Amino acid sequence: MSAQITALHAFGAVLRRDLYVFLSYRTRIVSQMLTAVFSLTLFYYVSKLVHVSGFSSPQSYFGFVVVGIALVSVMYSCFSIPEIVRQELVAGTFDRLLLSPFGAIRSVVAMTLFPLLYSFMMAAITLGLACVLYGLQLHWSTVPWSIPAMCLALLAFLPFGLMFAALTVSIKQGAVGTTWVIALISIVGGLYFPVSLLPSWAQTAAKLQPFTPATNVLRHLLVNSPQSTSISSALVKLALFAGVLLPGSLLALASAIRIGQRRGTIIEY
Amino acid sequence: MSGTLEAIEPEIRGPDGMHIRAAGLKGAAAPLMLRGLTKRWRKDLPLVLDSLDLTLLPGTITWVGGRNGVGKTTMLRIAAGLIDPDFGRAEVWGATAVENRVRYQQLVSFLPAGDRGLYARLTVRRQLEFWGRIALIRRERFGEIVNGAIEDFDLVDLAERRVDRMSMGQRQRLRIAMTFLSEPEIVLLDEPLTSLDAEGTAIVQTAVAKVLAREGCVLWCSPSGEHLDIEFDARWMIEQGKLVPA
Repeated sequence: MSAQITALHAFGAVLRRDLYVFLSYRTRIVSQMLTAVFSLTLFYYVSKLVHVSGFSSPQSYFGFVVVGIALVSVMYSCFSIPEIVRQELVAGTFDRLLLSPFGAIRSVVAMTLFPLLYSFMMAAITLGLACVLYGLQLHWSTVPWSIPAMCLALLAFLPFGLMFAALTVSIKQGAVGTTWVIALISIVGGLYFPVSLLPSWAQTAAKLQPFTPATNVLRHLLVNSPQSTSISSALVKLALFAGVLLPGSLLALASAIRIGQRRGTIIEY
Repeated sequence: MSGTLEAIEPEIRGPDGMHIRAAGLKGAAAPLMLRGLTKRWRKDLPLVLDSLDLTLLPGTITWVGGRNGVGKTTMLRIAAGLIDPDFGRAEVWGATAVENRVRYQQLVSFLPAGDRGLYARLTVRRQLEFWGRIALIRRERFGEIVNGAIEDFDLVDLAERRVDRMSMGQRQRLRIAMTFLSEPEIVLLDEPLTSLDAEGTAIVQTAVAKVLAREGCVLWCSPSGEHLDIEFDARWMIEQGKLVPA
């Protein structure tokens, strides 16, 4: 039991370290909040142009897209993990983590905590700003359920970051492909517009990743958007993605590190 | 030639006082044994390490020197468990880092050469606290160990200073403090005196003496011709991938 508590302290230490580093850049949170305000303002006025079936009013589309914007920040945080690993490689701290009793795998998992928690907070702030500045109506009776749903969504998103982290350990580049993947997911995940508008082959792609069911569930819980599929089936999909991909991504990361140690490339950056 | 200090005691015990043979670790009668280490970085390059053997016994300090690029750092990285040899084994009390990673890393601490391995935006205290937690130091002794390191490595005045605002010598003192923080049994030092003044050098020697006093062992690598004032129990040079007496 004592060993588990010591390991939990180590997870907490990584979280605290990232918080301290974040706070040492004093203007970062202000600039990120301003970015959220600009995005909301842009889509608030775009929503005034929208008069299509599926959205009863401009406000309805605005609610739809605000949840998408909030989820984009969460998605970005998942895909920031390979860049964080890259920074550790360059700073020479990854070697030290690898040589610590806590180990590199647990350290990388712990490194995901701060960006994910922070993106969770930024998503909440984005929704709050949308309410205060542009009159977004949240569906308060189901809002509390969005927290466990978001946690499940994070577990389903996390493997993507871990797999790209494994790639970073192997090829030493942080952002290879992540920008493309984020752009692709933004389209097929239905973050800015309904997936039903896409061609049928693209709609198939929408079913092959966890971002679409996550946005569907959160839209329903936060702004009571009408659903094309049932909430329970979307939650099952998220759980399946998390259950299958999370162990797979951890295995990929462990393999990348072991191969790097065998070849001696783990010391390169 | 094999770098063995003396005949191995059959009754020697492990770090927990556990009899090695009782633990089923055959031939594991030393804190650190490098057996037949062989490493080649590329097929078209010569061997960096060629069946290199080295045994470190409790309470001893060993120096390994050699020209730049001769393989000292490669040997230390393999001994630390950072990279694998092509052939051979690096064993701590009979087990490799792959066979028992956590135990291996709890016993071994490695100071790499250079000035890397620090978080620039963290203060000295937070850096030590972070690495202490990652080293899985038990919470009962955590505060005492971190505060002790700050005092022992003359970091009291720097404790609340960020690393990116420190001199190279001050950073090196912090890196050395991190290396000795978890009270390791086996310490691997790669050019530890880089950027250090006379006081810093004395601090390192005191830290090494403490390791030896608790029957730990130290492997110290640096270029040839340095640190002749330190009393090493054995001195070796790496030449063409093998150890020869210095």
